[in-house]
Amino acid sequence: MTAPFQFPPTYNFPPFFTPQPNTNTRHSQLQKWSSLIQSWCRHHRQYRISLIEAVETPLFHNAALRKRLDLREARAVVDWMSKSEEEGGGGRRAEWINESGKAMAWIWWKRPEEWADILVDWVEGTGQRGSVLTVYELIQGDMTMSQEFHGMDTDVMLRSLNILVKRGKAQIFGAEGQEGVKFF
Amino acid sequence: MSRRGVGLGAFSNRNQTTQSWATHGANLRSTHTASLQTQLSVFQSLLHTFALEHSSEIKSNPTFRAEFARMCNTIGVDPLAASNVKGKNGRRGLGEGGSFWTQILGGDMNDFYFEVAVRVVELCRETRSENGGLIGVGECRKRVGKGKAIGSGLEVSEYGCSCVRSSWGKREANLLDSDDILRAVRSLEPLGSGFSIVTVGSKQYIRSVPKELNTDQATVLEAIQVLGYVSVSMLRLNLKWEKARAQTVIDDLLADGLVWLDAQGPEKEYWSPQNLLEDSG
Repeated sequence: MTAPFQFPPTYNFPPFFTPQPNTNTRHSQLQKWSSLIQSWCRHHRQYRISLIEAVETPLFHNAALRKRLDLREARAVVDWMSKSEEEGGGGRRAEWINESGKAMAWIWWKRPEEWADILVDWVEGTGQRGSVLTVYELIQGDMTMSQEFHGMDTDVMLRSLNILVKRGKAQIFGAEGQEGVKFF
Repeated sequence: MSRRGVGLGAFSNRNQTTQSWATHGANLRSTHTASLQTQLSVFQSLLHTFALEHSSEIKSNPTFRAEFARMCNTIGVDPLAASNVKGKNGRRGLGEGGSFWTQILGGDMNDFYFEVAVRVVELCRETRSENGGLIGVGECRKRVGKGKAIGSGLEVSEYGCSCVRSSWGKREANLLDSDDILRAVRSLEPLGSGFSIVTVGSKQYIRSVPKELNTDQATVLEAIQVLGYVSVSMLRLNLKWEKARAQTVIDDLLADGLVWLDAQGPEKEYWSPQNLLEDSG
């Protein structure tokens, strides 16, 4: 259906799958992993990954090279991604859904704040300031078909909308599962 | 004349002789200088004409540029050194002194190398954690030529002649020669930047970390060039090294970030990150 994912050259570099002992090299390696995971998720429109499942997918398992990133290592990468750059991490490009279990994580190929900006731009661009939309419409509606947030994970959408609420740019109302949103 | 004068008169006589010799010397010197100056100005104007006539060629054709630079080198004119002297304010008119090359090529020739140099520095910094500060000249050329390092095309200096207003952005990868990269790196030398060119085996690299490779390290890197990767047993077998020696060299290379470790095979393998750059980005 969709075009196959184009792996970067690093993916065919065997040492890529072994944690590098040298700190600088390791840093470069983590950066490359982070950007690979992000572009993989973006390509597949995936907002969260389950590491246990993901380690069996081509993302972490290069069958041609017979190299893989095991669960422990994949966790280390996502852990690094979840830290801010000040903490020596990858700029909060991931977030554990359950911090203690570390099995599922959000992968922020766009962070909720970035999604919020995109939503605002779209609302302004289509002259829908002041109008009321349902969250379902935003995600599944025909009018958002061409938008990158079309088909988005509902939780991510709500998080992004909540950021707009905090900024005073939107208001969410309605029962859970049937939320509506008004943009200011 | 050769007879030494006697008496008091001899003193003033000698004085006179010295003076006349001095004047004669000065005369000779000045004619000499004058003729040299004429020669130089003739030569400069010829070079000027030549450079003007071929300026677009110099800038667009890497082979021609290399030849031109080589020619300048043999006659003792360093295009870089000559154009290094940049006026304090860039908007200096033509002929207002300043650098010879700035006059000829409208400040474009030196800018060209400086732009390349800036891109090379950027690329080296960007990839330092990946390759330990060692990057192949060829890879560097490809990447810099693509113009990936800094945004899009660079602006052409406002004081450039309109005839040579060739925008950098329009340059294609094949218009940049490895020679240009080398020249650009050399132009960084006066800054004490620590950028140098090292040759390993048949390949030239830019070293952006001021650290020497010892012979053993160079040998191993050369082996990796040929074989793709090395392991301790491969080194022992091929180079007849003792285990400790092989391990030490590899550990050093690893510590410098010059090789990456793959521990998922039967034996630890060490790979060079050089190929990573090849077509990434």
